[in-house]
Amino acid sequence: MSLIAVPLLILWPAAIVLALLDGRRRGPGLLAVGTLAVSFVVLAVLLGHVAASGPQELVAGGWAADVGIRLRVDALGAAFAVLSCGVLLASLAQAVVTGVQARATPALTLFMALGLTGLFVTGDVFSFYVFFELAMIAAYSLTGATGEGQRIGAAFIFAVVNLIGSFLFLIVIGALYRATGTLEMVAIAERAATIDPNTAILIAVAFFVAFGIKLGLFPFHFWLPSVYLAVSPHVAAMFAGALANIGAYGLLRFGGALLPKELELGATALIAIGSVSIAYGALQAIARRDTREVLAYSSIGHAGYVLVALGLGGPVGLAAAVIFSVANALNKTLLFLASELRGRLMATAFLIGILSVAGVPPTAGFFGKAALFEAGIDAGSIATVVLLFAGGALSFVYLFQIYQHDRWRPREERERRMPIRSASRGQRAVTLLVAAVVLVLGLWPEPLLALGEQAAGDLAAMGRAR
Amino acid sequence: MNLLFAVVIGVLFGSGVFLLLKPDLFRVVTGIVLVSNAANLTLMASGLTRGEAPIQPVAEGGQVADPLVQAMTLTALVIGFAVTAVLLALAVGVYRARHSVDLDELSRQEAEEAAAEEARERAHDEERELEAADDQARRHDEALR
Repeated sequence: MSLIAVPLLILWPAAIVLALLDGRRRGPGLLAVGTLAVSFVVLAVLLGHVAASGPQELVAGGWAADVGIRLRVDALGAAFAVLSCGVLLASLAQAVVTGVQARATPALTLFMALGLTGLFVTGDVFSFYVFFELAMIAAYSLTGATGEGQRIGAAFIFAVVNLIGSFLFLIVIGALYRATGTLEMVAIAERAATIDPNTAILIAVAFFVAFGIKLGLFPFHFWLPSVYLAVSPHVAAMFAGALANIGAYGLLRFGGALLPKELELGATALIAIGSVSIAYGALQAIARRDTREVLAYSSIGHAGYVLVALGLGGPVGLAAAVIFSVANALNKTLLFLASELRGRLMATAFLIGILSVAGVPPTAGFFGKAALFEAGIDAGSIATVVLLFAGGALSFVYLFQIYQHDRWRPREERERRMPIRSASRGQRAVTLLVAAVVLVLGLWPEPLLALGEQAAGDLAAMGRAR
Repeated sequence: MNLLFAVVIGVLFGSGVFLLLKPDLFRVVTGIVLVSNAANLTLMASGLTRGEAPIQPVAEGGQVADPLVQAMTLTALVIGFAVTAVLLALAVGVYRARHSVDLDELSRQEAEEAAAEEARERAHDEERELEAADDQARRHDEALR
């Protein structure tokens, strides 16, 4: 049996069992962390297989190939699955060592991991929607359950805005089925060229809006800061590091692989919206003082980079989008996890996150930015290169501002502003582990770069498969 | 038939969006339900075919209705149902915390709280500045003496 279904079969029963237990107790929390760790390892092995021998497939339930639902994982899906599962693992471990506040947190985290893993390994558009909705419902509930009582309104707005995106996605699945007569991604990619151009553009725009809402791009960003403010840092880390991957993956998969012609057609628009997103996120972030708010606006800015890379297109641009997304998810996780912990080591971890976001070697962020620069130069677009440089400089400014604001103050004042328990040994271990990953990927980037190239190659090959 | 579906979907979606813009949480939930049903109907409409029920054995050469859209719609209905439940639970949570479901009222409360918080911070900062000034004055006096 192929490994594809194994993580789903591990996560699903565990999530259901945990839903019945009290997640605030030590035992269920550790069980959830253990389950996530096992599926993380399985996904990592799967990634190894994919990297060595190309995309893997499995038709669920032993049905004939065109009847059953196809699970299909290529380098892009495997990379995002490992990344998301790892981020959720680190965030949940942090939550468990800190002390879980809401009884449903471990179960909801597992459901989110299940949804994310499922949508990264499925080869079927409709089951993509089902898994996607599973992950999103877990996220709404997580916001509602862990948000402070006063801020539960943010969870409501989060849910309503994202639901509109989801239903738009559902409608466009209907349109895609009508236009191509199939739901399988590979078959859609083959038949995409035969769709009537007007229909294809409508479909592409609707997909863009649906994923733009998830990713928190500039015109659809308004729900994002209030949600990141309402939840605790480790839940914010889950959202920024794992859940936001849906948007990046969706744009890459549906734009880069299924509708490449329409992506090319909209390249200028994508670069324009991405640039506005970068500028808006950075300028808003500079004006804020609250760490989480700054990081939320910074996420809006970084979504713009993915879009610019996608707009630049070609194998180099797609690879840059993948590499940048991976580095960015790790950075955001690290920054959120370290944001409310004090101590010299935690300050160092936070600093590593800042340097990585700004793209200073030796951190993973450097290679994310380097890949973007490469794509910009490759496309011969000087404006893009200037924009990337300015965006990087601005992110350095706003992150150092909060570093200074939070940590370079007289002790008593700092304590009033950051009412924090000093970091426990467990919290320190988890945060330092994430920081170590960021550093190791910066010192030894070959696997990440190769993965990005392979993912871009797999995307381009999808329409030409079989 | 296509026109009928298009009109019904349009009316459903439009009414849903209209309700979404109302400043009342429960109307917003109703709006989401309508939009979700517009999406379901679109799914149904995307595979509208006339034919026999797709149950084996089917007659040779006969047209068979497309069963896939019905399966999809059924799944989407269940998801929409779950989503409505979550939304209603969140709305109840908001009502418990704020004793109101009016969005204008909610944002007014939030703005007031933010203003109060800011005022508290500013008062504290001023206090500190005064203390610092006092400190300096005292040190100045001591130096003079």
